[in-house]
Amino acid sequence: MRGLRATAFTKTILRSIRGSLGRFLAILGIVALGCGFFAGLLMSGPDMRAAANELYDGTNLYDLRLVSTLGFTEKDVERVRQTEGIAGIMPAISCDVMARLGKEQLAMRMSSLDVDAARDGEEQGASVVLSADGNYLNRVFLREGRWPQAADECVLTADKPVVDVGVGSSIEVLFGTVDLGDVLRERTFRVVGLVSASNYPYTGSFGSTTLGSGMIGQYAFVSPAAFVEDAPFTEIYLRVAGASAYESGSDAYQAVVDEVTDRLEQMTPALASARLGDVRAEAQDEVDEGREEYQTEKEKAQRELDDARRKLDDAKRELEDGERELADGWSEYEDGKAELDQKREEAEEQLADAERQLESGAAELDRSAAELERGAQQLGQGRKVFESGKAKLLEQLGAKDLQGAKKTLQGQREEAEQGIAGLEAAQGGAQRIVDGREALAQGRQEAEQGRAAWEAGRDQLLAGLAAQGMAVTSVGEACAALEQAIAQQQAAGAPEQMLAPLREALAQAQQLAEADERLSRGEEELDQAESELAEGERQLLAELAAQGIEAADASAAVEQLAQRSEQAHSGIAQIDEGLAGIERLESAQTELSQNAKAIEDGRRQIADGRAQLAAGREEFEEQRADAYRQLDEAQELLDDALRELEDGRRKLEDGRREYADGLVEYEDGKREADEELADAQRQLDDAQKKVDELELPDIYVLDRTKSEGAVTYHDDSLRIDSIARVFPFMFFLVSALVALTTMTRMVEDDRILIGTYKALGYSTSRIASKYLWYAGLASATGATLGILVLSQVLPFIITSSYSIVYTVPLHPLPLPIDPLIALASGGLGVGLTLVATWAAVVASLREVPATLMLPRAPASGKRILLERVGPVWRRLSFSWKVTCRNLFRYKRRLAMTVVGISGCTALLLVGFGLHDAIWDIIDGQYGPIIHYDTTVGLDDDATEIDVARVIDVLEGTGEVSGIERVQQENMQAGTDGNGPTLRVQVIIPRSASELGRSVTLRTRVGHEPIAFDESSVVVTEKIALKYGVVPGDEIVLFDQDTIGNIKGSGHRLKVSGVAENYVGNLVYVGREAWKAVDDAQPVFSTIHCSTTPGEEVRANLASMLRECEDVSTVVFSDETINLYRNMLSVVDLVVVLLIVSAGLLAFIVLYNLTNINVEERVREIASLKVLGFTKGEVYAYVYREIALLAVLGDVLGMALGTYLASFVITTAEVDYVMFGRTIHAPSYLYSFVITLVFVGVVMLLMRPKLDRVNMVESLKSVD
Amino acid sequence: MSFVEFADVCKTYHMGDVEVHAVAGMNFCVERGELVVIVGPSGAGKTTVLNMLGGMDSATSGTIMLDGIEVSALGEYELTQYRRHDIGFVFQFYNLVQNLTALENVELASQICADPLPAADVLAQVGLAHRMDNFPAQLSGGEQQRVAIARALAKNPKLLLCDEPTGALDYLTGKQILKLLQDTCRSTGKTVAIVTHNLAFTQIADRVIHVREGRADQVSTNPHPADALTVEW
Repeated sequence: MRGLRATAFTKTILRSIRGSLGRFLAILGIVALGCGFFAGLLMSGPDMRAAANELYDGTNLYDLRLVSTLGFTEKDVERVRQTEGIAGIMPAISCDVMARLGKEQLAMRMSSLDVDAARDGEEQGASVVLSADGNYLNRVFLREGRWPQAADECVLTADKPVVDVGVGSSIEVLFGTVDLGDVLRERTFRVVGLVSASNYPYTGSFGSTTLGSGMIGQYAFVSPAAFVEDAPFTEIYLRVAGASAYESGSDAYQAVVDEVTDRLEQMTPALASARLGDVRAEAQDEVDEGREEYQTEKEKAQRELDDARRKLDDAKRELEDGERELADGWSEYEDGKAELDQKREEAEEQLADAERQLESGAAELDRSAAELERGAQQLGQGRKVFESGKAKLLEQLGAKDLQGAKKTLQGQREEAEQGIAGLEAAQGGAQRIVDGREALAQGRQEAEQGRAAWEAGRDQLLAGLAAQGMAVTSVGEACAALEQAIAQQQAAGAPEQMLAPLREALAQAQQLAEADERLSRGEEELDQAESELAEGERQLLAELAAQGIEAADASAAVEQLAQRSEQAHSGIAQIDEGLAGIERLESAQTELSQNAKAIEDGRRQIADGRAQLAAGREEFEEQRADAYRQLDEAQELLDDALRELEDGRRKLEDGRREYADGLVEYEDGKREADEELADAQRQLDDAQKKVDELELPDIYVLDRTKSEGAVTYHDDSLRIDSIARVFPFMFFLVSALVALTTMTRMVEDDRILIGTYKALGYSTSRIASKYLWYAGLASATGATLGILVLSQVLPFIITSSYSIVYTVPLHPLPLPIDPLIALASGGLGVGLTLVATWAAVVASLREVPATLMLPRAPASGKRILLERVGPVWRRLSFSWKVTCRNLFRYKRRLAMTVVGISGCTALLLVGFGLHDAIWDIIDGQYGPIIHYDTTVGLDDDATEIDVARVIDVLEGTGEVSGIERVQQENMQAGTDGNGPTLRVQVIIPRSASELGRSVTLRTRVGHEPIAFDESSVVVTEKIALKYGVVPGDEIVLFDQDTIGNIKGSGHRLKVSGVAENYVGNLVYVGREAWKAVDDAQPVFSTIHCSTTPGEEVRANLASMLRECEDVSTVVFSDETINLYRNMLSVVDLVVVLLIVSAGLLAFIVLYNLTNINVEERVREIASLKVLGFTKGEVYAYVYREIALLAVLGDVLGMALGTYLASFVITTAEVDYVMFGRTIHAPSYLYSFVITLVFVGVVMLLMRPKLDRVNMVESLKSVD
Repeated sequence: MSFVEFADVCKTYHMGDVEVHAVAGMNFCVERGELVVIVGPSGAGKTTVLNMLGGMDSATSGTIMLDGIEVSALGEYELTQYRRHDIGFVFQFYNLVQNLTALENVELASQICADPLPAADVLAQVGLAHRMDNFPAQLSGGEQQRVAIARALAKNPKLLLCDEPTGALDYLTGKQILKLLQDTCRSTGKTVAIVTHNLAFTQIADRVIHVREGRADQVSTNPHPADALTVEW
């Protein structure tokens, strides 16, 4: 009966499920999501750890690692092996080196690999390497190629490939943390394979080192043969017995390991002193050996020196002998030379005498000859004068000889005398004419005087007549007039007295007339004489002209003729002279002939003298030659002797020089030898001192928590755990709300049925059990499905994401399901749903059956606050009014929707915010904060000159700008010696003011610039956050040793500012402030600068810098940025995951809400349809409410998301980076819009349900 | 041509494999301004007739005409418009929107049609001027039905369709509602169709359509309809 009832009841449940599948699925879905997320996220961490554990155990990864500052020997290994609880032991050698791989130069860890064991190992799956050798620890997977064999072969990691470096290429080791000569045989290694080692699970950093940027960027394994023979082991790897039974990192595991750690730590002092003893003995041996060698060398050198000394002394003696001999030779030579000189002088004297006599004879002879010649010359001259005179004369006379000339001259003389007579006659004629002319002129003058006197008389007469009144004009008239007058008078008879004046006048007048007659005659005679003279002259002149004498008149002719005759006279004189000359010539001719004969005689005498003299000279020459020959022979003998002497001297000087050289050489050699010996002595002393001072080595026992890779991985898995504890809370809250609203609605639907059951006598719990069963079934199914699916999917996605940076292989699917977590999350999901259901049911069940049987009084409309605002309310359309009232009427739905939607928005915002935060690391760091893109680091021992040279190279390229120098130190920071410390890079700029060129120091909030001077200490934000440091507080910087342990008690510095920074942890320290840490002046051997973008430019620059010996690192930020981009793309998968889950959440909530709303208001909707509402109006009526709730949830989700994102970001952050802290505006926009898109999609999907509401059916029944 | 004409109207429902002929060849006419009572036993198909006339359901075959509109030929959208502008519905269970006051419920209808009557006036007309701001839950059944009638009237429809308007009401209230409907018909000249199983209602009708087994069994006119208040049942 009970079974039957149970069956009926079950049927009711099944039927109600079928009847309200949407509702059932909503509960199922949300619970699946909540439980699945919770379980999935919670299992992700353990799954990651399990995968790591599998890898660690599968590769027999060490549990403990012993490291000693002095290394270990086989003996030490044996000592350790004896320790209890050790299951496997493997010593290894490793060293950190700077290596050149292809284009890159980075810090690399080289370790020895047990090649035989590796070759025998058998890889099984992704996590296991089987080997018969239990002492083969840290087993390595060979991904490509083969194992190394020869000393110059290596395998590199396949997990972090380097561009252009693969199997077959070569890598070069440049320098290391220790002197490589003590460790490695080779410097160049051929890559023969690529491997993956569980010892290095984190590709972001394979560990830390003091080289380069402080991170190990690559690891390599080589065969032990690659290391020098006596190189000590640097570490001993151990496996702890029983540790593999527990998961790596778990407390149980740690407990087992710690036990052995304690044991080992107890024995480390003994180990250390034993090791010290070994090392000291070995070193002492070496020193002693050195000392012995020193002694032998010293003696040998002394011997050699003595030999040289002896040889030098012999040489000196020889030199002295030679010198003496040479001096004797010289004096002999000098004597011989003096004798010869004397003889030569005598001979010279005699010869000179003879010569002088000869010379005087010759001179006398010459003098006579000269005189003779002078006479001859004079004679010649006289003859020449005579000849020329004679010739001139003959020429003048046109004669052939002197006789002819004489005759001619005489002829000429006669002729000349005749000419003179003619000339004189002509001269007389002319003179007469001249005289006649003179007389003529005189006559004329007299005639004129007579005429003048006549004229005066006439005038007197005429004037007298005129006075008497007689007007007459001439004498004739006067005569006539007077005669008349007399006649008249006479006639008139006038007294004679009266007539006397007249007569007188008449007489006068007659006289005058007579005078006139005379005068006229005289004048006539004169004219005749003149013409006669003129005739005579003309004849004369014509005669003269015929004789060639041109004259104008007679007087001129007189003159000329006189001249001519004078000339003729002088001609005669000349001729006379010529004649006398001829006579003189004739006498001279005779004299000349006599003189010429005398000269000829003289000449003959001189020629005789000359012949006698020549004979004398010949004789003399013979005698002289003879004398000279004798002298020359003697001289030759002397010269030979001199040459010999000079040779001797030269040889002696050479010898002397040689000796001096030898002496200097000897001295140098001796000094050198002394110095070398002293040096060797010093070195020996130093070595001895070192041996004496050898300290106990520090021996560290390091477990996996000291392995950077393992720890980072473990921490990341723990981070997932903490995120897992927060995220699903939201899903659970939403699922509880969904269950509550859904079940409330269901109970209300079943109101009458419940009443019926009650009336039939079913107990409250029995009735409630139906709903509890219903909800339980839904939630349990959901939980199971959700956990099954998401506990696979979520860990898979998360570990896949992490596999970008970790080499830990994915756990093969299916992943183990942790029953505890599954039960916990399932229980939580189902429990919450049941509680919500109970809460929904219990209210209805309290009512009495009678009330229940009645249709429930419709929930009364309530006025809401908004209605009090009349103006607003009146303006709202009825459907808005309904919406507003509904919003506040169904509070559970409001809560569910708002929480659900805000959860959706929050998830989206977390996704996008995480994306922003992570990409901000790069975008915020490179550009706004870090301005340089190139870092060039020099060796620790680089000098100022080295740095300057590198800067020259940089500047020389023309592609580099903004060069700044800093000192970079890898240190650790903390607030005191005991607390946790953080690895930091300390940067000391050479000049505080230059720092701004490469870095902007500012606060993150407000971007206020931070002042930086030589005494400033600025820490980056992450450090400040970690230690709660604010400006004014102190921070402690610790030095660290090569293994990364703190050394010393640290240096306290006062922080002056906290700067925004995303990548790395930096402490900027001014020079003055740095003095508190280190007194020594830093070299500032790190260069920050900017390079022109371009692959080729960089490659060129890098290769140029590599040529510089001291350059240890060349880092281009671009490469770092790309590395980060790669690493951070992990996040994108997570973002997708979050978006998908947000979508699911939104869908379930909205679907459920819409479903409930529609079901509840079927009548209302039908009424609207009947009233003639169009489809669109009906949708609007229903969806407006949902849309409003969604927007409300969306807005709240922004706030929730901001908070949640900041939680996730700070939780997920690793020590090395600070994520961006601001979510970008677009992310808010995306989240908001995507949520609304989800809402829209749900609304679209729910439309058919609204369309299906049937007016007729819906309105028939009572609600 | 009559105001309303049903010509060979059939309506067949498929309930699984069974065909149910709710209306099987219905023929009748109604004139403008008449108060029509469609009467018949349960399951006779009278509500189906009303639904088809009101555009809530479509006929399987035959022609339905209203004021020259061939209702039976309208598509879904046109039917919606037809309901919106030409028809006023009154149901047995009022079907008011619980979250709106009496006035708002009336406005709900009047806001969507072309030529509505002022909501407040209509409410006053049905005697609810004093309860305008009350929510349905605060009103009695009769009052709620009055609101429903007011809502139908406010649309100023051509035809007022009432499906058992007094079904959920007590006798007196029912009579008052009936009176209201009759008065409305008389005073506004609207054509009013009342579906009921109560034969007593036939006394107040101008025209009575007896429906039996999906057919108009008998159509009679009543030259002297009685006053609703005098009707007894």
